[in-house]
Amino acid sequence: MAANAPLLELRDAVPSFEESGLMPAPYNLRIMPGECAVIDCRDVERAALFADLCTGMISLTQGSIKFMGLDWSVLRDRQLNALRGRIGRISRHGGWLDMFGTHLNIMLPHLYHTSEPFDHVVLHATELGHKFGLPGLPISAPDRLSAADLARAACVRAFMGRPALLVLEDISDMLPEETVLPFLEMLTAARDRGCGVLWLVRSGAAWHDYRKAVNIHMRLLDEGLFSMRVV
Amino acid sequence: MTGTPPDTTGQGTARPGGMALPSAQPEPENRGRLIALLGRFAPWLAAIGRLTRHQVRFTLLLIGAGWGTLRESLRPNSWRRPVKYEFRATLRQVVSGGFLSIVITATLAGLMVVSQAAYWLGYAGMAQMTGSILVSVLVREISPILVGIILMGRSGMLSLTEIGMMVLGGEVRGLQARGIDPFLALVMPRTFAFTLGGFTLGMIFAVVSLLMGFVVAHASGAITSSVWTFFFNVLAAMTTWDYLIIPLKFVLVGFFVGLGACISGLTVSSTDTMATIMPRGFARGIMLVLVVNILFMLDF
Repeated sequence: MAANAPLLELRDAVPSFEESGLMPAPYNLRIMPGECAVIDCRDVERAALFADLCTGMISLTQGSIKFMGLDWSVLRDRQLNALRGRIGRISRHGGWLDMFGTHLNIMLPHLYHTSEPFDHVVLHATELGHKFGLPGLPISAPDRLSAADLARAACVRAFMGRPALLVLEDISDMLPEETVLPFLEMLTAARDRGCGVLWLVRSGAAWHDYRKAVNIHMRLLDEGLFSMRVV
Repeated sequence: MTGTPPDTTGQGTARPGGMALPSAQPEPENRGRLIALLGRFAPWLAAIGRLTRHQVRFTLLLIGAGWGTLRESLRPNSWRRPVKYEFRATLRQVVSGGFLSIVITATLAGLMVVSQAAYWLGYAGMAQMTGSILVSVLVREISPILVGIILMGRSGMLSLTEIGMMVLGGEVRGLQARGIDPFLALVMPRTFAFTLGGFTLGMIFAVVSLLMGFVVAHASGAITSSVWTFFFNVLAAMTTWDYLIIPLKFVLVGFFVGLGACISGLTVSSTDTMATIMPRGFARGIMLVLVVNILFMLDF
């Protein structure tokens, strides 16, 4: 990735309507390393689809989406997966495998994409867990955890390792009040390392405390992505 | 220049001798008739095509996924930690989940086949054939089918349901979003766990069924030799091919039951429910078990 190159760039990207259900309008977005883009979208399904679009999971009929200078559409499966391994993601739905314990769910992407010793991964995950208010790594299945603990675990998983991009769907309604500050601190720390942030929110309340640190504010509507004034 | 001007009237050209070339006028009529005929049969042809494609789809998927599984398994990079974990977990489930069923089924099969064979062959004065009959009937033909069915019932259906539900619940898509290939993380390790599990359970089945058969036949007086002599006779009756084919059948039955279950689970559509996934997976599993055995029966 060249210096001063955008981390994530959507250039007139028109998603396939048949595949995604997203309106086939041209989407334009450019996130530089360390930047934070907040996308307002009330519809959580559409927000999840847009997150999928940015991570190269929806094919395009026109335009291109580049992440770290690489076009998703020209990469092969192994390269696609390796590149997605650089993205920390919080999903609102479908992110947990109930057949594994939550601890394995948290560490799974990191164990899959890196060869870091297992003990280090456990230690790192436990430390992050403490920061987000978990007493340790929860070993019970995700469907047995409360919504608040699952939201904490989702944060731990997203911040594991050193992601180059954070794609965060809105879980502010599940995240306990005392976890909001550590979450924003971690977000800032990640941005200081050069990590870009794509934060999909449902309302202004979700990112109100972070408003001054946001670089890009856009609104995702049926018709496409529209710029908003950052206050 | 003395060339004949081209006929532009569309009436045809007169040949010497009074024969006329066929005119262009009947052609649209023929074409129209052909189109009408095609229009009449097109829905039937389309239905046959749809049915053929639908029936062949799973076979082609299975061949492709089988080749992909073997190819990917040879890459050291494919055996990452979560993949190894999944392999171990599935192997544990396959072997421990099927062990008791295998022992009970093998005992029943042994009681029926060994004692009956020993009794009737002894009655017919062909007691020396006991070993070869048991090898060809019990170990080579019955064991792989029963092991395949138990493997499918105890573990294959579980894998099918788990993966199918993961697809419907969006969890497989969640894995993909995190850069985890579901084929590498779910299909490959489970298929190899089923392969190894099939071999393990098959060997347990063969030994237990022969042993239990011997116990009953010995107790009833149909067999008077020692257990060592009995097993020696069975081994002596095995040909070189048997040493290859019997383990190969167990391995292939395990491989295809595992692969079939995983592929059936991974290819469910959004309209599928448990009520449609389970019967389809069961029918495919039974078909695969029988096909593997019948293929071996034809060749050897």
